[in-house]
Amino acid sequence: MTQEFIKKIIEASAATIAEHAEELTDLDRAIGDGDHGINMKRGFTEILNISDDISALPFGKALAKAGMTLVMKIGGASGPLFGSFLMAAAKAVDDVPSNRDEMLKLLDGGIEAVKMRGKSDVGAKTMLDVLAPVSDALRAADADLINVARKAAAEALENTRDMLATKGRASFLGERSIGHIDPGARSVVLLINAVCDVLETA
Amino acid sequence: MTDNVSLVIVSHSGDVARGAADMVREMVGEEINVAHCGGNADGGLGTDVAAIMAAIKSVYTQKGVAILVDLGGAETNSEMAIEMLPDGFADHIVICNAPIVEGAVMAGTEAAGGSSLTAVQETAEETSL
Amino acid sequence: MSPETSASSSAVINDPIGLHARPAVKLTKLAKSFSSDIEIRPETAEKWANAKSPNAVMKLRAANGETLHIRANGDDAQTSVRALVDLINKNFDG
Repeated sequence: MTQEFIKKIIEASAATIAEHAEELTDLDRAIGDGDHGINMKRGFTEILNISDDISALPFGKALAKAGMTLVMKIGGASGPLFGSFLMAAAKAVDDVPSNRDEMLKLLDGGIEAVKMRGKSDVGAKTMLDVLAPVSDALRAADADLINVARKAAAEALENTRDMLATKGRASFLGERSIGHIDPGARSVVLLINAVCDVLETA
Repeated sequence: MTDNVSLVIVSHSGDVARGAADMVREMVGEEINVAHCGGNADGGLGTDVAAIMAAIKSVYTQKGVAILVDLGGAETNSEMAIEMLPDGFADHIVICNAPIVEGAVMAGTEAAGGSSLTAVQETAEETSL
Repeated sequence: MSPETSASSSAVINDPIGLHARPAVKLTKLAKSFSSDIEIRPETAEKWANAKSPNAVMKLRAANGETLHIRANGDDAQTSVRALVDLINKNFDG
């Protein structure tokens, strides 16, 4: 059961990253160094390649292994950032979250790790600007969590457009980073939607 | 082997990393061990945590290892690599906040005289003042 | 053998581009091999610089033909000054 779930999440994540790799790279070319799409694709393709091994593990260990794979394969700062998210999430939960509180534990554990790894916080035009609002929205919601997450993610992504980048490569551009959505934040939205898709069909 | 602080040069480009390491070897000499790595797992621009870990291990000494990095991802990936090394390693490794080439030559010169890791890091970082 | 305590001398830089990176590294390395405190000052500079500090030596930007003053304090002061003068006279070759 868990095994099949993990496998579906991996397949959906890898598929959406591969499908949008070019878009991510274009976004990154505008305000970064233009390798985000190809880096993410490299990392998620490797996770897909070893999805049998990963999905054979208990949920927490599967998250940790997926995170480690991203760290080792992505080749840019996104590796440690997305990788640390999963590795910290793995420490927060042992099993597939079965309710909102467990889901928030996973999410918030990951968010803290991204803040530490990136020496960053909300408002700096990074992946945190989607992760944190989604966590907040889920915490405040009563029902329909999947749609709450999707909607919060989409709105938060759009909000990164007017933010001034103060972290990462985009910060070199200063004011010129304004007017573009953040590629890392876009990746987070893609992955959140992929997970939501799997949850809806489960 | 020497009992001097070692250097590790981490660039997005394998060519830059190799070139900086060559400069240190040629200008400073053989008294210090210099390892370098650059490029992602596919051979493109980027940095590779596994390669950084291997580079650190290849020159690791209790005396210390000073890492020189170029851009953001090189630093983040180096921090990740340090954390993933066996317990105890991290206490003897620093990432220098210095320009990669100048910092490497300065750090190498300081290290060749037998200086401590702290002194090597300070000398490297003076280049960015 | 009595301690040498202090010594000083000078030498003229003879290198088309002056005391550039490579000679500066050589000078620093040699200076570091002695226990004495060693300082250098190009003729045109006001302040003495620590000869063991790669950054300080590099920043001197001493030019070709310029006289470099050297002074040292410590047990191997004379030996160190002699060695540095020697290095400069050899045009940093060696």
